[in-house]
Amino acid sequence: MSEKNTHLPGTPLSEKDFQDGNILFNHDRLRGDFAWDTGIAIGSYLAGMKDGVILGGRCDTCRKTVVPPRTVCEWCFRPMSGYVPLRDTGTVNTYSLGYVTWDVKRIEEPEIPAVIEIDGASPLHGIMHLLAEVDPEDVHIGMRVQAVWKSPEERQGAVTDILYFKPIEEEENDSSRA
Amino acid sequence: MTLLERDPNAPKSMLGDLPVVSRYTFGLAGERFFRAIKDSGRIMGSRCPDCDRIYVPATIFCERCLGEIDEWVDVGTSGVVQTFTLLYENYDGTYRETPEVIAFVQLGDGGLIHRLDEIAHEEVTIGMKVEAVLKSEEERVGSILDITHFRPIRK
Repeated sequence: MSEKNTHLPGTPLSEKDFQDGNILFNHDRLRGDFAWDTGIAIGSYLAGMKDGVILGGRCDTCRKTVVPPRTVCEWCFRPMSGYVPLRDTGTVNTYSLGYVTWDVKRIEEPEIPAVIEIDGASPLHGIMHLLAEVDPEDVHIGMRVQAVWKSPEERQGAVTDILYFKPIEEEENDSSRA
Repeated sequence: MTLLERDPNAPKSMLGDLPVVSRYTFGLAGERFFRAIKDSGRIMGSRCPDCDRIYVPATIFCERCLGEIDEWVDVGTSGVVQTFTLLYENYDGTYRETPEVIAFVQLGDGGLIHRLDEIAHEEVTIGMKVEAVLKSEEERVGSILDITHFRPIRK
C-alpha cells in the first residue's frame, strides 16, 4: 500500500465493540459433519490397526512394499499382490516441532509430528504420526522409534489407535532392521 | 482375501465435523436498519432523491445511479405479498405435513423475504396485504428474526 494513503476506508471494529453491544452481529455455526469413506485398502489398514498390526501393501512385480497399503501399485499400475504385516518399529525420516495446536493455540511443550519409515516397508515409505516420551532437543533424523498402542479394548480402527511413537535403544546393525 | 474386496471388519468410514463458526456484521446501512427494528420496531428504507426509489432494506447507495443516499424513510410494517413458496421440508431435510409459507413482501420499492403465518397455506394469494409481527422490545436483539412473521391484515 502506498505511503500516501493515510486515511483507510472501512469501519474498524474491536472485540470490545462486540462485547459492549456497540455493534449488531449474527453468530453462526455451519454444520460441517462429514463421513470419509475409507475405501478398500485403507479400510483393511484401519482394521489392522484395531488388531495392533500395521499393514502394508506389496507389489511383487515392482518388489515394493508401501504403507499405508493401496489397491493399485503406483509404479506399474497393476493391482497390488496383497497385504503384508509390518513391524511397529521404524526410523524418523523427518519431523517438526509444533508450538501451536491445530486451532492455533500456543503451547509450551511442542507436538512433534514426524514421518516414520516403517520397518518392513520399502525404503522411504512411511506414515506420519506423533513422537512422544522424548526430549524435543533429542529428536533427530534417523532416530529409531516404536509405536505405543492403545489397549486392545480401546482400539477402534483408526490411526489414533497408535498413541505415538517413542524412541527405542538398539544396537547398531541390529538384525531386526529391515 | 484379495486386494479388491472390502474387509468386512474394516470401518466403512471415518466421521468428523469441521468447526466452522462465523460472525457477521451488517455493514453501515444494515447496522442502522436493524437498530431501527430493535429499538423502535420500525422498518427503514432509504430513498434516492434523483431516482425517486425507496430501497428496503435500506442501502447507503443507489444501485440505479450509484449515488450516495442519506435520506432514510420509515416504510411502515405492512406490505403486499409479491410472491410466495410453500416449504414441505424442514431445515434438516425431514418432511412437514403442513408447509411453511415463505413470501416476498413488498415494502417501498424493495421488500423482505419472510415467513407468513396465521393463515392457512391454501388461502395465501399474491397481492395480499400483510403486516409484520414483531417480538416484544425486550426480546429483540437486532436480527431479521425480531420480526417473527408476517400475517394477513384482516378487516
